[in-house]
Amino acid sequence: MNISSDPWVWVSALFTIAIFSFLWRDNPFYKIAEHIFVGVANGWAVTFYWHNVLVPTLFDPLFRQGQLLFTIPFVIGMLYLTRFMPRVSWLVRIPIGISMGYYVGASIPAVSQALIIKQIQGTLLSPHNFQAWHAGSMGIVWSIILLIGVLCTLSYFYFSKEHKGILGTTSRIGIVFVMIGFGAAFGYTVMARISLLIGRIQYLLGPWLGIVD
Amino acid sequence: MTMIDVLTKIDRRIIYLILFSVVTLPIIFPSARSVRVMPPVEKLYRAIDEIPEEKALIIDFDYDPQTLPEIEPMAFAILRHAFTKRIKVLAISLYVQPLGLAQNALVNVAEEFNTRASTQEDSIIYGRDYVFLGWQPPPLIPILGMGESITNVYKTDYHGNRTDTLPLMKEIKNYGDVGLLVSLSSGDPPKWWVEYAQNRFGLKVGAGITAVSASEFYPYLQTGQFSGLMVGMKGAAEYEEQVETELGIKVRRKASESLPSLTYAHVVIIIFIVIGNTGYFISRSKQRRSQ
Repeated sequence: MNISSDPWVWVSALFTIAIFSFLWRDNPFYKIAEHIFVGVANGWAVTFYWHNVLVPTLFDPLFRQGQLLFTIPFVIGMLYLTRFMPRVSWLVRIPIGISMGYYVGASIPAVSQALIIKQIQGTLLSPHNFQAWHAGSMGIVWSIILLIGVLCTLSYFYFSKEHKGILGTTSRIGIVFVMIGFGAAFGYTVMARISLLIGRIQYLLGPWLGIVD
Repeated sequence: MTMIDVLTKIDRRIIYLILFSVVTLPIIFPSARSVRVMPPVEKLYRAIDEIPEEKALIIDFDYDPQTLPEIEPMAFAILRHAFTKRIKVLAISLYVQPLGLAQNALVNVAEEFNTRASTQEDSIIYGRDYVFLGWQPPPLIPILGMGESITNVYKTDYHGNRTDTLPLMKEIKNYGDVGLLVSLSSGDPPKWWVEYAQNRFGLKVGAGITAVSASEFYPYLQTGQFSGLMVGMKGAAEYEEQVETELGIKVRRKASESLPSLTYAHVVIIIFIVIGNTGYFISRSKQRRSQ
């Protein structure tokens, strides 16, 4: 056992234990750690964005180098602050509108192509998709299961007609696929959370207590 | 109180204690590990391995301290692979938080190689073999801008050097000179790379993601939009295995070391789920009979 003499390792370890103490029950140590984390994270983010975004990309070019073209983004950005002035608060719609216009314009074609067209192509029963499973002749079976799953799940979310007859059958099959999907997602979530716990315990046993390398 | 009542009303703190024990003991007393490399990781390994000599690998570091145990071993394993095969590496980050973590991974792995190197040629040299371009907000700007010119988007690197003066950046101009981009992320970035960079510029994209996001990202692998995929600590361990067996690099494998803890924790959780559900069904059938 070789306990660390680095004060920062101690700070890190004690904060970890303070946060873990919530598993027992809510307590002042947990509250202190939580509040310090929120404060530090916000303080760090504000100063980082000030020094690395606002100053080099806006204030320096505009006020030090006199590039007057930067007045346009400066004024548009400042309009966000009109939110706090009730008489002119409607002006905030201008920067919001510009941001939304840009991002929606950029994302609609990209998302349609990547998330809709490509995914539909991946569902088709084609030799290319059979091979994509890397499962030999079983690739056909997996592709058929995938196609059935997609169609039945879509039918489950079709609410314009009562789920009876064929629609009732397909939607019941669809909900089975949805539940399997939720189960897989839950399993992966457990795996992720345990991985994070392992990381912290490795830190406590390693750099802090020196029990392991 | 019957046995079933006892089992279905176990105090959550006892469950935490058992979980803590099964995670901790395998770390203190490590056991033998064997990792089977699965096709998604194998595909990613091959995609990196087959990057042509004149092209570069971009690694997008988008993980933060919260997801460090899952993703950092992936970063180390990929960097070891790339540096061994002398693949040129450009490192970037779409968020602020990962900058320090990315720098740590790059410096540590470069150092591993440089301590063994005897000549300038064997060494991993900043500016010649790899460059850390840093962070440029908002994310859409570098994703789209690098398709035209990387040095226009990142005028200076993480250390403040002008990028157009770095030898590597004279060879790598835009996505045309990039063989693959691997997004190591705990969020949406792998999707953004596919949506914007792949759609528009045909960039090949691979991903290393947290286990939480796995079910969201697997469809991209099946459609071929991802050239390979690593999921969580298990995926990282598989890549470590591949690097060790194929390249003979024997170093500490942090993800592989954690697998016994991960396995035993899963077994415990499965047992508790079975106990909980068995208790629920037995007590429900008892209630029905009594009615």
